Amino acid sequence: MHRQALGRWALMLAILALATIGMYVVRASLDKAHVTLVYLLIVLAASAVGGRALGLTVAALAFLFFDFFFLVPYLTLTIANPLDWLVLVTFLITSVVAAQLLYRANATADEAMQRAVEVDRLAALGEETLNAADAGEALRAIADVIRHSIDADECEIYLHGIDARIARVARSASDVGGGESARHPPVPALGIAEAPSGTEPRGSLVEWIIEHGTSAVELTDGTVRVAHELPPSRRSPGRQRWEAQPETAAAIRAVTRLERGSLIQRLSDSLRGDDDRVRRGADEPAVRAVALPLQVRDHTVGVLRLASEDGLLLMPEQARLLVALAYYAALGAERARLVATAERAEAERRVESLRSALLTALSHDLRTPLTTIKGIANEILRGADAARAAVIESEADRLNALVSDLLDLSRIHAGAVRPALAVNTIDDLLGAALRGASGVLRDRPVEIDAPDGELLAGYFDFTQTLRVMVNLLDNAAKYSPRGSAIDVRIRRNDQRLTIDVMDRGPGVPVAERDRIFEPFYRPPGVPPDIRGHGLGLSIARGLAEAEGASVRFTPRAGGGSVFTLELPAATIASETDLASMG
Amino acid sequence: MHSPTVTVLIIEDEPQIRRLVRNALHADPTFLRSGLDESEQTPELRVIEAASGNEGIDLTAAEAPALIILDLGLPDMEGVAVCREIRRWSTSPLIVLSARHADTEKAALLDAGADDYVTKPFSSVEFMARVRAQMRRRAAAVRHDGSTDVITFGDIVVDQQRRRVERKGAPVHLTPTEWALLRTLVNHPRQTLTHRQLFHQVWGNAVGDAQQYLRVYVGHLRRKIEADPVRPKFIHTESGVGYRFEPPEDEVA
Repeated sequence: MHRQALGRWALMLAILALATIGMYVVRASLDKAHVTLVYLLIVLAASAVGGRALGLTVAALAFLFFDFFFLVPYLTLTIANPLDWLVLVTFLITSVVAAQLLYRANATADEAMQRAVEVDRLAALGEETLNAADAGEALRAIADVIRHSIDADECEIYLHGIDARIARVARSASDVGGGESARHPPVPALGIAEAPSGTEPRGSLVEWIIEHGTSAVELTDGTVRVAHELPPSRRSPGRQRWEAQPETAAAIRAVTRLERGSLIQRLSDSLRGDDDRVRRGADEPAVRAVALPLQVRDHTVGVLRLASEDGLLLMPEQARLLVALAYYAALGAERARLVATAERAEAERRVESLRSALLTALSHDLRTPLTTIKGIANEILRGADAARAAVIESEADRLNALVSDLLDLSRIHAGAVRPALAVNTIDDLLGAALRGASGVLRDRPVEIDAPDGELLAGYFDFTQTLRVMVNLLDNAAKYSPRGSAIDVRIRRNDQRLTIDVMDRGPGVPVAERDRIFEPFYRPPGVPPDIRGHGLGLSIARGLAEAEGASVRFTPRAGGGSVFTLELPAATIASETDLASMG
Repeated sequence: MHSPTVTVLIIEDEPQIRRLVRNALHADPTFLRSGLDESEQTPELRVIEAASGNEGIDLTAAEAPALIILDLGLPDMEGVAVCREIRRWSTSPLIVLSARHADTEKAALLDAGADDYVTKPFSSVEFMARVRAQMRRRAAAVRHDGSTDVITFGDIVVDQQRRRVERKGAPVHLTPTEWALLRTLVNHPRQTLTHRQLFHQVWGNAVGDAQQYLRVYVGHLRRKIEADPVRPKFIHTESGVGYRFEPPEDEVA
């Protein structure tokens, strides 16, 4: 850039010199008017190419050359003919005015260009705010744009969360390392400051701004000034946000011209101790940071804080841009809030539906076997055949299984599953699973299709994965015709092991496929003799996901279901390698 | 006529469970004849009970029971601590009753010296099977007092002296690690060996990656001696705890 400017200067001065030499050579046949016109052209060209400074320099040089070379007496700066003075002065005035006009026209064009860039930036920002997949991502982008537009060191956005917590959700800073922020805490405490009449400062400046909806500036001397609060009459509900704007704009004006103390009130001791200091321009502390409330419909949703170590100076057009950008930040913050609110509502809905399903299970699924047990115990007491006690035993087993299921379910939902990952073989897993499910698999042929001769191992928690497999086998046995085969297919694809449990049952209708993994789901129209609580698949999936595995459903070609357990494969050393360790 | 007695100690704070265990022992006294000849007289069963860990430890010292049943949920002491204390001076078979499912806990108990565990709720049939297995194992250990030279199970013959294994008469080639594993397992029939115990037996105090491959070695071993490695007959998996060698019922001495 600098080199380019030098080049332009050199070029224009060279042209000026060449033109002067050329005209000097043919001086005899030239009129004064010709010389002035040529020089005027060069001055205009210099102004257009190199701006005001070059234009004026060239004008001054041309003035001297004109006098020196082309006005009698030649090669002196004295002028014999008084009329020549007139020509010379006219030339000087004309060229200076022309250079000035040309510069202004260029500047206006530049400004128009700048505005076009600003508008583009705002449009891009608006799009970003509305379309970004993640609200936090949008805020980070906005913080970046604001920091670059205002040329600040740091731009932060704080969000007033749904649970009234205040968190910094976006930060854009010119320094990459964290050393800077360690020296200057991101949220300055109000500390010694006292809030305006009747209010009490709480915790940090950001909290204060959110509570009062006013702007503040931080000064390099460590003190803070906040804008006056809006009088209650002007905060009536339903006011348009843009009408509330003058307050924010006022704060920005205050930033650019600090002496307007009437708009901002200094809270610190230093102000009260020495009021004059503020007005003494030389000693006046510079603004280090400005913090603006982000408001949507009179509602403060967050705080935007801009900071520069060397002091923050805003040109009027930057202040204007900041106001507009802050509005986008406010929209982004509001969006983040809405997303969080929706997510929380969804989580609460799920917990609620699980809770009600749990209550149903406790009242029905636990009471039914208890009723049977109590009834049969009573019969035996009255002298019935003691062999009836076998029913008590099976009902007790059922209760025991349900209690285990409920415990597992609550562990999964509490995130309390702690898998002990280890290298385990598929032989072991499958063998233990077939034994674990031997009750339900009694009259079922189980066909195992595994790669020949290869000992497969995976990286998983044995007990949990065993439970997943038993549940899948149990599910296959429950929901397929009695006596039909259940097929198990084991495959290794690179780093994953898949175990397919395949049955010839009715399959799962498309509409139900998302729901089969929900707790307490039972397929519609299931015969009452199939005993279950609808927990098996949800526990299988929950346990699998807790250890980085997965369980999914696919329809089986030719009818039936395929439930696939996918596990991370373990690479095991060859047999000889292993033996050498022994 | 004075008949010999077998003393069984139940350490359990719940009176209902104590009664259940006592009744189960009295109802099925076949375990008392473990290791006895046809001609010998069946000993008399004597059941003593303790409601706390400390009382249980005292009774073990005083009465030297032939079998100890230990509940884990005792009011005064951790079950693992009771187990460890008893094992410092008693070698009697010890079966743990546990309501907890955590496998790490089971493994810790076996490592602390327990011989077997039964998870609550259990049936008396299941419980008595464990009791019989422990009594028979103890009787066999007393009789042989060391490892047998040649062990036969199913179609497998293990010759410990010559370090040879045959299956259906044909020699089976085992790597040194597989051999060490097999020998450890067959010398502790019907006993669950934890991963740690097996590792210690096979590798001594070695440290390194080998431990995580223990299951892989068992997998290779099974493929050499089992007809169907997924449905093993001899080397059984105790989920999350370890392995157990189970010779067919009628063939073991």
